Amino acid sequence: MASKANRNQWYSRGSRWVQLGICFFGIPAGAMAANNCAWINETTASSLLGGDAVGQVSAADAGQTTVCTFTQTGTDVVRTLRVTVEIAADPHARVGALAQSCGADSAPLKAIGNEALTCSADDRKGGPSERLVGRVRDQVFTITIASTLKKDSALTRDSLHAKIYLAAEQVAGNLF
Amino acid sequence: MARIASILIVSAGLTLQGSMAALAAAQQAQTQAANISAQSVSPAPPPPPKYTPPAKGSPPVVDTPEQREAIAKWKERAEQKLAAERQAYNDKVAPSYDFHYGKKNPYTPGNVQVVGDGFLNPGAFPTAEYCGTCHQEAYSQWRQALHSNAFRTPFYRTSVNILIRDKERGIAFSRHCDSCHNPIGVLGAALTADSKVDRSRFDPDGLTCTTCHSVVSLDSTNGNASVKMGVPSVIVDENGDRIPGMVPFDMILRHPERHSKAVMHDFLRTPEFCAACHKANLPSPLNDYKFIRAFTAYDEWQQSKFSQRNPLTFYTADFTTCQGCHMKRNPNALPDYGAKSGTFASHRWLAGNTAVPFYYGFDEQLSKTIDFLRAGNYLNVDIFALKKADSDKLIAPLGSVPYQLAPSETVDAYVVIQNKNIGHSLIPEVRDLYEAWVEFTVKDSAGTEIYHSGFLKPDGMLDPRAHSFTNRPVTDQGEFVDNHKVWTIHSVAYDNSVQAGRSVLVRYEFRMPADANGAVTVTAKVNYRHLRQSYLNNIFGKDHPAYPVVEIASRTRVMKVGDNAPESPEPNDNQDWMRWNNLGIALLDQFQYKESIQAFTEVIKLRPTYADAYTNVGLTEIVWEKYDSARTAIRKALSIDPNSARATYYDGLLQRRLGNTEREIADFSKVVEMFPQSRDARRELGITYYQQNSNSAAVEQFEALQKIDPDDLTAHYNLSILYRRIGKLKEAAEQQAMFVDKKVDPGAPTYGLNFLRLHPEISTESIPWHIHSDLERSSGGPQNGK
Repeated sequence: MASKANRNQWYSRGSRWVQLGICFFGIPAGAMAANNCAWINETTASSLLGGDAVGQVSAADAGQTTVCTFTQTGTDVVRTLRVTVEIAADPHARVGALAQSCGADSAPLKAIGNEALTCSADDRKGGPSERLVGRVRDQVFTITIASTLKKDSALTRDSLHAKIYLAAEQVAGNLF
Repeated sequence: MARIASILIVSAGLTLQGSMAALAAAQQAQTQAANISAQSVSPAPPPPPKYTPPAKGSPPVVDTPEQREAIAKWKERAEQKLAAERQAYNDKVAPSYDFHYGKKNPYTPGNVQVVGDGFLNPGAFPTAEYCGTCHQEAYSQWRQALHSNAFRTPFYRTSVNILIRDKERGIAFSRHCDSCHNPIGVLGAALTADSKVDRSRFDPDGLTCTTCHSVVSLDSTNGNASVKMGVPSVIVDENGDRIPGMVPFDMILRHPERHSKAVMHDFLRTPEFCAACHKANLPSPLNDYKFIRAFTAYDEWQQSKFSQRNPLTFYTADFTTCQGCHMKRNPNALPDYGAKSGTFASHRWLAGNTAVPFYYGFDEQLSKTIDFLRAGNYLNVDIFALKKADSDKLIAPLGSVPYQLAPSETVDAYVVIQNKNIGHSLIPEVRDLYEAWVEFTVKDSAGTEIYHSGFLKPDGMLDPRAHSFTNRPVTDQGEFVDNHKVWTIHSVAYDNSVQAGRSVLVRYEFRMPADANGAVTVTAKVNYRHLRQSYLNNIFGKDHPAYPVVEIASRTRVMKVGDNAPESPEPNDNQDWMRWNNLGIALLDQFQYKESIQAFTEVIKLRPTYADAYTNVGLTEIVWEKYDSARTAIRKALSIDPNSARATYYDGLLQRRLGNTEREIADFSKVVEMFPQSRDARRELGITYYQQNSNSAAVEQFEALQKIDPDDLTAHYNLSILYRRIGKLKEAAEQQAMFVDKKVDPGAPTYGLNFLRLHPEISTESIPWHIHSDLERSSGGPQNGK
């Protein structure tokens, strides 16, 4: 526990250096906007990924999918949290279609939006990954948390399930 | 940090190593909790450490000097750690925080305050899982209760998100709502654009254990979270000083009395504590308009018989607090070191919300909520009387008198709904979202429906002509505020809630069958739904499951064509005197004074020595401005019960009419002496003194009144004048400003009228004396709600 606390302090210190850097050198306006995800903030995403993550938003034109991607880069690992949101004419059917990629282990998740299901989305070459597909009214969203490290102690199978639930509460809560 | 503290304690020769392991486990649980507590069914906290409660009455354990020193060191370290973390946190979040109302008001429009400087880091709050280790019963109940889900539910988020997305307002304004729904977020500076705060730590837990149990003082009964939050602490030291943060369980188990001192302030058991959030107003910083009292379950309780603070209630009862109904002690099913004699005060806070447990699948909470709503004899439904179309005579009380009905005869059924044992209004608080209504059915002997009011349509919407105990807040354009956009509320088109202890008369017209042997079965129910269908549709769209409808109380009577003999009462039926009394109360509230007095007179016939019956006649006559006959009735009441504070109060009003100032003062003073928290008696006594130019005596009464009800307009108005007279110009200006802000906008009723003009199906409901009918009338008549 103490080491965990120390690690958090280290991250804190790290982020302070980043802030200091920002103060001195400034950052491009476009990059500022890039962090402005409407459904989950960078600090929350960082907490879920286990370290300071950098967010990027690809804002969509009307009718297209908006994507927020948070990337946490470690010495031997890259962890990502990706959120997509789109408006669907038949949202229930769209959730079904997106869930096709989930495979047999998908499970419905109670109390996330109107409906939601989750599944593992492990990449054979990469590490563990969890995916969630859900909707709030006609807004269909996906959340994917993934790691490039095969045995990632920060993103175990159990913790992935819990983390994606927390992420989903943030995303769905902000979509309501 | 914990490691350093552990070393210090071990070096002090203490035996807290085991507890350090337990603390580490708890901290691990806390970390995991951040991950899993959002789940609908949370895993239980780790098993509790071994503990044998001290024998009852045994003195607290005395620490050795070494133990005292170790605790002192722990405290010092904990305080240093907290200070450092809080400072670092503020350095991180404050620069980008939107101090919309200035640096001195970081939490406005909410009223919450916090001990110490700057924002309080969310990590300072020990999690529910930490508390739940020893309080497993409390934890498991809380997890399913409304308090733990105060923030995250779609029902709340949909409303607050509209405010956050409002281009003229934004997330800073949502501190008004979140001060109660998510206080850790407010105090932790999370409610700002471009937030730098990890919301997964606290959003899922809403009001966690260490929010309520860290409050150190109640600032007022103004609501909107009018509390001061202390730095969370689960134990105090030997001097009573708080030790911040988590501590090893052994430290608590060795000194449970110090744990209690830290987390169990006496005010937690008072209604004033509940008032902090179960009382809300819409302040001008939120709505750019003026102060509007949103709801106040606390004041409703204070005016009810259960508070024993109001001498003017129609009935009396044992003193019961909010906690007395909503936190009843039950045998605990899980280990809980806070249990007393195997029972624990419920942390389910059972009330009316069926939507949250339904959505999350909290079946136990849902079933207990339904049981709660149906238990307790909260409401009485009385199919009290019939009135034939061609007669003014009332056939009443049904069941006690014989009567005849003819085939095809048209009758009015008088249904009296009594808010009998709720300590607040039916329905309380958010009346624009909650829905309680009367479902009235008449079926013939074959079971065919003859008349049905208060049905649900296939789309789930309630019959628009149902008698509902709701209200209709409207904007300045006269539009219904359907999405709980409270900052747009300018008026209320109607409010059909029933205050505690009062009754309402609902009249239904129907026609008896043509068959000479026919009979009808008449049923009146009060149903409750959380929430209105259109609001559920706003949240989920129309493709959501039907939310539970709970029948709270009902009564059925069979009426035959031909002779109807008296019948035995049912167990929950009121006695006849009370049935008449309730009719009288309902008629009084519907401005039918003559009929009200007739009903109260029937009470006198049945209970000639019941002083309140005469007082009821007297008060109705006062309202009707028939002072001479009122005097006779009040004198009679006082002759039966000379110490009746209620009759004495009305006597005071009557003495004022006669100019008997000494008697007037004596009456109101007597009531104040008997009921020091009677706002009515304080107000009237203050007015009397004001009229007598007894400035200091008047000030004393109005100041006392303001302590009871900080919104009392009479107090604001008179104090603004009185303070000026005695040279307190600053205070006078403050009172004047509050009076101007709180006084009802004289133009506001027109907004309600605009709404009613556009909604004739509801405008009838805004008239106190109305009738529900499907029958066609030659004059046109109301339209069938179907």
